[in-house]
Amino acid sequence: MKIVLTTAVVATSQLALVGLAVAPQLSARIAGDTYLVRVAPVDPIDPFRGAYVALDYPDLRHDGSQSLVEPGLGSLEDGESGDVYITLVETDGVWIGEAWSRTRPDDGPYLACDDRSWQVRCGIESWFLPQDDAQEAEHLLRDGAVAELRVDDHGNAAVVDVRPR
Amino acid sequence: MTDTSSPAPALATRSVAPQQLAWLRHELDDWTSEGLIGEEQATRIAARYRSEHDARVSVGRVLLYLGGGFVGVGLIWLVAANLDELSPLARFAAVAALWLAFLVGGETLAARHASPPLVGAARLLAALGAGAVIFQAAQSLQVPAYEPRLIGLWAVGAFIHAYLTRAHLPFLVGVVTGVTWWFMQPLWDAQDGTTVVVLLGAGAVLAAALAVLHDGWIDGFAWTWRTLAGGMALAALFVAAIPDTGSDGLTWSTWLVVAVAVAAAATVLAGVVRRGAGILEPLGAIAVLLTATSLSLWATGTDTTAVDGADWAHAAISVVAYVLLAVALVALGTVRDHQALTWMAMVGLVVFTTFQSFAVFAPIVTGAWLFVVLGTVFLGTGFLFDRARRELVQALDPADTATDTASKGTDR
Repeated sequence: MKIVLTTAVVATSQLALVGLAVAPQLSARIAGDTYLVRVAPVDPIDPFRGAYVALDYPDLRHDGSQSLVEPGLGSLEDGESGDVYITLVETDGVWIGEAWSRTRPDDGPYLACDDRSWQVRCGIESWFLPQDDAQEAEHLLRDGAVAELRVDDHGNAAVVDVRPR
Repeated sequence: MTDTSSPAPALATRSVAPQQLAWLRHELDDWTSEGLIGEEQATRIAARYRSEHDARVSVGRVLLYLGGGFVGVGLIWLVAANLDELSPLARFAAVAALWLAFLVGGETLAARHASPPLVGAARLLAALGAGAVIFQAAQSLQVPAYEPRLIGLWAVGAFIHAYLTRAHLPFLVGVVTGVTWWFMQPLWDAQDGTTVVVLLGAGAVLAAALAVLHDGWIDGFAWTWRTLAGGMALAALFVAAIPDTGSDGLTWSTWLVVAVAVAAAATVLAGVVRRGAGILEPLGAIAVLLTATSLSLWATGTDTTAVDGADWAHAAISVVAYVLLAVALVALGTVRDHQALTWMAMVGLVVFTTFQSFAVFAPIVTGAWLFVVLGTVFLGTGFLFDRARRELVQALDPADTATDTASKGTDR
């Protein structure tokens, strides 16, 4: 009986830690509001993770460049690295980045991101698709599409859908 | 690796040939019947020796560990090879099912008193599987896999498993992942040389305090914490002695403050819970932390072509501090009967002396003379250190001293 209890405690604790690891993303999916953001494809398949479509967000990019070599959200280039917050405003039915800041905005909506790696990342840079659908999605994205994001009050974001605009 | 749930023998046993063991037992029977020694003494003497046949079983243990490891890795590989066919949720379910199977299987085997290596292999796979579940969940939900907190949560999970079941292999997984997190998390915010030195020193303090707290509670874990403390203390002084390690100064990030505070709290706890000489271990580690941080922040210039008085002073103080630490670790290794500490100190001193000799002498002595000077320094240090070690062993080990005195008396 004791061994059953011990094993159950270990299993439950470790599962709780898994929940803690993905808490921001779970919070965005469960409690977040929906925002549509223009999206462009970068790379149809990540060889290490299967059919993940890497996504680029032209309206969230800080420096406004569209380099094919280094797609993504760019960097603040202020000599620092750490937390980055992108304030969102609605324009023509989609949301675009209005301001980039190192301090958390007083009110939303905003994305809580990070630029400790080589560019800003907000946890919305890739999206899973079944292998067959990935190629189809690539064509879809080239013709113009929007990503449906869920963003909670703390700026945590998750991609829940990508569809034609 | 043995499971710590099984009781450890009180004395270290030596393996001898079966014929020798049979002879010893025969002699012990004779001495007992003649009244030279009592039954209890005979039993205690016999308990110090075991047949080599038993030692050979360790080969079987190694095979069991390897077998368990290969089967587990093979299963995970099979799933991983087909991961791109699965949706994120199915991937998570597959990895979680494997982890749960290893966890339940390992603990069931332990409850049935199965072979310790088999139990250890299953528990190792369960501890590794817990990390796989965290990273798979993170990947499925787009959490960047390089975030330090994922490693930290894995370490917490492995420690929970280890402490609740007294299992050594999950404990080692927890130590490895925990040490990785200890450095990754503060360096995530600020990357400078002195931060590394402070983390090494504070890590030594924390590990030394934990070793003292584990003494007499879970001795197997205490051994690992003490080894880690010694290694981190040696590494802290080694890195601090490199010229201009901390030329960028020190950035007190939130996590660095937390790390130092945790180390201090553990030291206070060790002092309160374990009264006695044991507290000298974390206090010694604090001395290492302060010395290493000061040396790291002491900038002597980056010009390697000109060695001035400050460079010599920095090198000399570093060498003295390192030798003192090495001698202290040898003393601790002798007092605690902890061979790994002694060897770490000796190897560390050899590597440190070599490195410092090149760093100090290379700019002014070149070619063949560099090797002559290095060799001379090396021989001198080795001779003095070995002499000091022998004297320490004699001074600190009453049994050896008594034996020495007895043998001298016999000589007379």
